[in-house]
Amino acid sequence: MYIIARNIFRFVVLILFQVLVMDNVMINGYMIPYIYILFILLMPFETPRWIQLLSGFALGLAMDLFTGTPGMHTAATVLAAFVRPYLLDLLASHDGYEPETFPRVHFYGFLWFLKYTLLIVLIHHLALFYLEVFQLKLFFSTLLRVILSSILSTSTIVLSQYFVFRK
Amino acid sequence: MRTLLRFFQSYSNLLLFLLLEIIAFTLIIQGSSYQRSKLIGLNRQVTGYIYNKVDGAREYFALKEMNEQLVQENTEMRNRLDLISSSLDSATVVSDVKGDYRYYFVKSRIVHNSVSKQLNYLTLNKGKKQGVFRDMGVISDQGLVGIVLESSADFATVIPVINRNFRLSAKIKSNNYAGILQWDGSSPRFAVLTEIPFHVDLREGDTIVTSGFSSIFPDGIEVGRIESFSLEKGNFYDVKVELFTNFQRLFHVNVIRNYRQEEQLNLENQNR
Repeated sequence: MYIIARNIFRFVVLILFQVLVMDNVMINGYMIPYIYILFILLMPFETPRWIQLLSGFALGLAMDLFTGTPGMHTAATVLAAFVRPYLLDLLASHDGYEPETFPRVHFYGFLWFLKYTLLIVLIHHLALFYLEVFQLKLFFSTLLRVILSSILSTSTIVLSQYFVFRK
Repeated sequence: MRTLLRFFQSYSNLLLFLLLEIIAFTLIIQGSSYQRSKLIGLNRQVTGYIYNKVDGAREYFALKEMNEQLVQENTEMRNRLDLISSSLDSATVVSDVKGDYRYYFVKSRIVHNSVSKQLNYLTLNKGKKQGVFRDMGVISDQGLVGIVLESSADFATVIPVINRNFRLSAKIKSNNYAGILQWDGSSPRFAVLTEIPFHVDLREGDTIVTSGFSSIFPDGIEVGRIESFSLEKGNFYDVKVELFTNFQRLFHVNVIRNYRQEEQLNLENQNR
């Protein structure tokens, strides 16, 4: 029960923070940090997969409603929620993940968390930015935006683990 | 039957994933600007309210800059006033000018703004109650901003120049050749003027203004200046236009209400 309440609280806080603060942070009009994806990153390991997918859907839909985009965030977050279990398997050490732990720096270390965040952020940003542009003419300029924004998002998310979401 | 059930059981997550993605893509494809605005209209009041609250803080940090803008605008107004009064002294005033003005400006504040997306939108804190309706033009002190897409009781959504769905007729001030102003999605500082024939004499630094062909904007609202041009598509120039309006630093705008818009549209539709 406690974990569910915590996750719902985190959901609301991240959406509001993204829409009200982060969306106003723009560097060159190229880079924009999307940190709301942190909600998907921090879901407990043993969350049933259908709940992960539906949470991703709800997260994207909330972002779409706030920013006025039709379905783009939804498509990207559902994709991120779908690939997360596979990535977790890929990044697991020999012993797998221990019960009573969460996917955080605190339990699995800086390097593990960095790799995990970077991969999910990249997948999410690739989907999001290309859906937004929806044409191949701008392929390389979009790729540049994806890379720059991914670096910015990943570093913001990793830093947040040390200052805000410490436990 | 049992194999079918087992199939669904073992692939249930994949199926759920596909279902959710289909819903998302339906939203994307259905989401042309008009239907989208209807859907968003439902939550415009709510998000508008939240943005309005938060905007107070943002505005506080920008006070200095806004002050400078206002001082500059003041100076320009004074200069114009000077010009007018000096010409009034020497001219006879026509008495029936009074009450016959065509445009009315509604001062409005931007409560939400995006510049880094492909489909950028602005939210204004004026709506139907203050006489802001669909298809009204929006300008700033610097120049053209965009067109009102939809309004609710207290808020309005604006398509700015820097939205990939934006289209407006604009012309080159020096020789009056008109083209279509749109945005290529690359930088919020530049827009593109297309459909200028190859024989037109273009110069870097020339001013682009609105053409007045649509009923939305008056003739001659300043848009930007020519940064560069190229003849890629054969017979027509692609002109890169540096916009006068700095969308990253935009706080106050004027919505243009054209009292004769309806009359003009009716006439145009009759002859179609």
